[in-house]
Amino acid sequence: MAGPARHALIRRHGLGPLGAGIILAWLVVLAIGPRIAPYSFRAVDVLTRLQAPSADHYFGTDALGRDVFSRVLVGTRISLPSGFAVVLVAALFGTLYGSVAAYAGAKPEEAMMRVTDLFLSFPPLLLAMAIAAALGKGVGNTILAMAVVWWPKYARLARSLVLVQRSVEYVEAAHALGHGPVRTLVRHIVPNVMGPIVVLLTLDVGNSMITFAGLSFLGLGVVPPAPEWGAMVSDGQVLVEQWWVSTFPGLAIFTVVVGFNFLGDALRDWLDPRGRRA
Amino acid sequence: MKTVRLLVAFLVLAACASPVPAMAAAKTTLVLGVDISDTRTFDPARQFEYSPPITMRAAYETLVTMTPGDYVRVKPLLAKSWKLVDGGKAWQFQLREGVKFASGNPLTAEDVKFSFERLQNVKDQPADLTENLAAVEVVDPLTVKLVMVDKNQPLLNVLASITFAVVDSKTVQAQGGTSAKDAEKADKATAWLDAHSAGTGPYTLTSWVRNSEVVLERNKSYWRAPAAFERVVLRHSGDSAAQLLALRRSDIDAALNLTPDQLDGLAKEPSLRLVSGTSLDYMYMTLTGSAELNKALANRAARQAVAHAIDYDGIIKGLMGGHAIRPASFIPVGLGGSTEAFTREVGYRQDLAKAKKLLADAGVASGFTFKVSYGKASIAGTSYDLVAQKIQSDLARVGITAELDPLDQATLRTQYKEGKTQSVLTFWNPDAPDAYLWAQPAVGRVSKRVHWAVPKEVADLVTRAGGEADAAKQTALYREFQKILVDQANYVILIQPVYRVATSKAITGYALTAAGWQVDLYDVKPAK
Amino acid sequence: MRLRYVATRVVASVLMALAATLVVFLIAHTVPADPILAQLGDKASANAELVARFRARWALDRPLWEQYAIFVGRLAQGDLGESIASRRPVLVDIGQYAPATIELATLAALLTLLVGVPLGVLAAVKRDGWLDHGARLACLVGVSAPTFWLAFIVLALFYGGLQIAPSPGRLDAGAVPPPHVTGLFLLDSLLARDWPTFRSALAHMLLPAAVLAASTLGLITRTTRAAMLDVLGQDYVRVARAKGLTEGGVVRGHAVPNALLPVVTLGGLAYAELLAGTVLTETIFSWPGLGRYTYQSAIALDFPAIMGVTLLVAVIYLAMNFVVDVSYSWLDPRVTR
Repeated sequence: MAGPARHALIRRHGLGPLGAGIILAWLVVLAIGPRIAPYSFRAVDVLTRLQAPSADHYFGTDALGRDVFSRVLVGTRISLPSGFAVVLVAALFGTLYGSVAAYAGAKPEEAMMRVTDLFLSFPPLLLAMAIAAALGKGVGNTILAMAVVWWPKYARLARSLVLVQRSVEYVEAAHALGHGPVRTLVRHIVPNVMGPIVVLLTLDVGNSMITFAGLSFLGLGVVPPAPEWGAMVSDGQVLVEQWWVSTFPGLAIFTVVVGFNFLGDALRDWLDPRGRRA
Repeated sequence: MKTVRLLVAFLVLAACASPVPAMAAAKTTLVLGVDISDTRTFDPARQFEYSPPITMRAAYETLVTMTPGDYVRVKPLLAKSWKLVDGGKAWQFQLREGVKFASGNPLTAEDVKFSFERLQNVKDQPADLTENLAAVEVVDPLTVKLVMVDKNQPLLNVLASITFAVVDSKTVQAQGGTSAKDAEKADKATAWLDAHSAGTGPYTLTSWVRNSEVVLERNKSYWRAPAAFERVVLRHSGDSAAQLLALRRSDIDAALNLTPDQLDGLAKEPSLRLVSGTSLDYMYMTLTGSAELNKALANRAARQAVAHAIDYDGIIKGLMGGHAIRPASFIPVGLGGSTEAFTREVGYRQDLAKAKKLLADAGVASGFTFKVSYGKASIAGTSYDLVAQKIQSDLARVGITAELDPLDQATLRTQYKEGKTQSVLTFWNPDAPDAYLWAQPAVGRVSKRVHWAVPKEVADLVTRAGGEADAAKQTALYREFQKILVDQANYVILIQPVYRVATSKAITGYALTAAGWQVDLYDVKPAK
Repeated sequence: MRLRYVATRVVASVLMALAATLVVFLIAHTVPADPILAQLGDKASANAELVARFRARWALDRPLWEQYAIFVGRLAQGDLGESIASRRPVLVDIGQYAPATIELATLAALLTLLVGVPLGVLAAVKRDGWLDHGARLACLVGVSAPTFWLAFIVLALFYGGLQIAPSPGRLDAGAVPPPHVTGLFLLDSLLARDWPTFRSALAHMLLPAAVLAASTLGLITRTTRAAMLDVLGQDYVRVARAKGLTEGGVVRGHAVPNALLPVVTLGGLAYAELLAGTVLTETIFSWPGLGRYTYQSAIALDFPAIMGVTLLVAVIYLAMNFVVDVSYSWLDPRVTR
């Protein structure tokens, strides 16, 4: 397709379909990954360690001789859902919390916002250590440990956005029509504030996968030898010459972030009640 | 747009303004790239971490020392000769004449007495090393007598440890230091000693910026030829890859924390040299003997099965690039008759058939499960995590499931020291280079952690070995002890690293020692 | 009225900061580790008398409520207790590491703002143009690349490869820092009129600040863009256009101030997060800052240090969010309480 024509196509539909395509592709990998992986993700063979990408090993081998390609494929099942789950839980709870705070009276809002400040002060690592100790390890508890640290950001963002919307004309109009606060909140305000929240959400997905990996040394997240992408990236960090060990899982994370981000923008456009601005 | 352009211009200007390190014609400063984040203090009476001894050995000296490679016979340093007196109950040392502290004060026996008594009475961590020191007596200004508590326990080799640094008693006392019995509360000299030194060594400590750098300067009063450099800087670098970059850029002359893979990549570099030295440290795995913690492991045959299933060669050749050796059991190669030949003869080796048979003997022919705990750390650039995963895959081949249990350091150390772990991967490094300091803990505090009820004969064997004066007889006794440990299978020693340091060819004389201070900076000189 | 609001807010903040220390104190004690055993060497750990003595020194043998009471009592006198790891007053530790982080965080925040906000505005105004797509791609890379990876790549490129950047660390090896006034090398060298040190400190700061800015830049740019797009489609903007204002006038006078609200919110949070320190960047650039201190304290379960840092971070967030909240009413008059 020629340049201008392609440009027009993108202009008309945005990059949403591309994003959807990427995410769809990863979902397919999530479903069939382990089955198409040429090697077992845990097949250790120190004699073939740190081999460069080749016909035998498309993405090369890591420090224990395991096939990086297989590990990236299998790792989709771990990294993708958990990375997304953390952000989703934090965003849902945080946005709700922040919106309610902005809509409530002055005193409740102050109190609620001070509580977010409280949560922001906790050292995240210590919180993770304590959750690991008290609740045990496992992916669920790790998601909890991370969501507890991340939700205040969404709460403060949502609150700032709703504060502005509260006094805008259509809200007064909705009031005049007799709509209750909840209905106004959900049907009018939320669609108008979703923009920045969706941006934050999609950009946080990659970050959450990396942070997930950062907790594995505490026993949180996934226990080795599980092929979690973030863990693979950080394990390969010292391997300067053997770039493939961290680059391929890093690219996996990057493409997921790109996909979610394009999708997120399309979602924002779709939610915008005024349609795409001319 | 204008903002962006301004910003770029600003950045470029600032970058250009940064001073480019000059390759001086005469090299006057030695810069080491090393992780010094474990440094808490430079007070010899309180210091017990891994990296500070490098600095301390440059600023302080001991009565006797050890040369790289020989960890059996001590060599003279501040003492020029010594002999056993009082029926073998005390060592008497003749101090060298004309030695001055950096302050200009002369070295006397009083300083030795002060230093050792302060070490004992401050009662901090390293005080335990004086447990065999009953008293220090000044015979005359250049003669000092050290009376032992038990003449069968080691003292001479222990004195080589930098913990027994001889400090300038007048200077330390002037800074609030004391060696009296109440030193634990009364001594106030530590803060000063953290930023200055009061020793006889070739360099003096002039500054310590935590997690940033340590600076030493040449000691003009040194009793031997003056040190080769005017200044030594230990530059903190917590990341091995960043250290590698700094070495390549000649910002540092030696990189002490590179990983095996990074070091291998430097082997062909013309401007760099790799220095290696076998250590007395090792990474080991414990296996509990407590049935409450793990029913299967309580059975000795099961533990031996684990020991025979591990691919030791794969770990050493594969993960360590061949830069490691392995002792038979708790006494490292290089001491107490422990040699690589002895390991080949008596130590564990991978034998899957034997492992399966042992499992059957233990009544768990189909295998069993146990938990291996470890922290986030690396030995010679190889992480516990990597070794644990390798062991896990080895053991799986005979049906043993090793569940990996990564823990934060605090929890790991607490649980291990309280004897609550089924199996840990951890590290042993010397308090001082004497085989007794490995053998005794193996039947003492470490045996409690693995729930091994040590039979009296074995404990006595260790005591006899420690007190045995004849070298050949001592070797035989320690070897017998190691055989018992191998059979008992509570300790599996995995890696005794051969450390490697990458140095620039602009310096020479860098030699690694396993005696505790890693390198004697006095020996390092600029290359001609 | 204003004053009363500020006073109430300050009191609430103080209470909240204390509450943070209490919660963190309790949380820290759920970890089944003994900081003394964790810190002592192998031989010393087996010395029961030594262990008992050290535990008593930090009141670890007392009941929990008493330990916390001791903390509060000390706090009232401006004393944060003694760190178990460094054996120094926590206040001294923080006083040493905080300035390094403050300098770095502030430079990073400045870079983010100066580049991110204009870029986001431009991307929104010239929507779907090449600038928009280019900026978006750069942001996505900056955001999804792990910080430690980015840090190393940047170091390898500018320091190792191009050799235009100085070595990791706040100054060169063995360089003498400026006479201590605040601990902020830029400020201290300015006060001492020590230009070479000023330039060196700034040069050493650029790379780590750029790395830190890279990760927040993506967020700020995209948020600015999203908020601008929202606002540009609003009625009052159409009204302004109908009034005959130029596009530039519309953008500057009406769209930007309103779009800035979410940006200011997130920017404030990002700056506070930077001030709390980032351990990975600090490690790679050998920057002796708060991030490393916080991390080490948590790992070693160094209670006094943990609580001291929590208090500091609480104050940072409380202060930052206060400033941000006050700025709302200045930016958008409709948002007044």
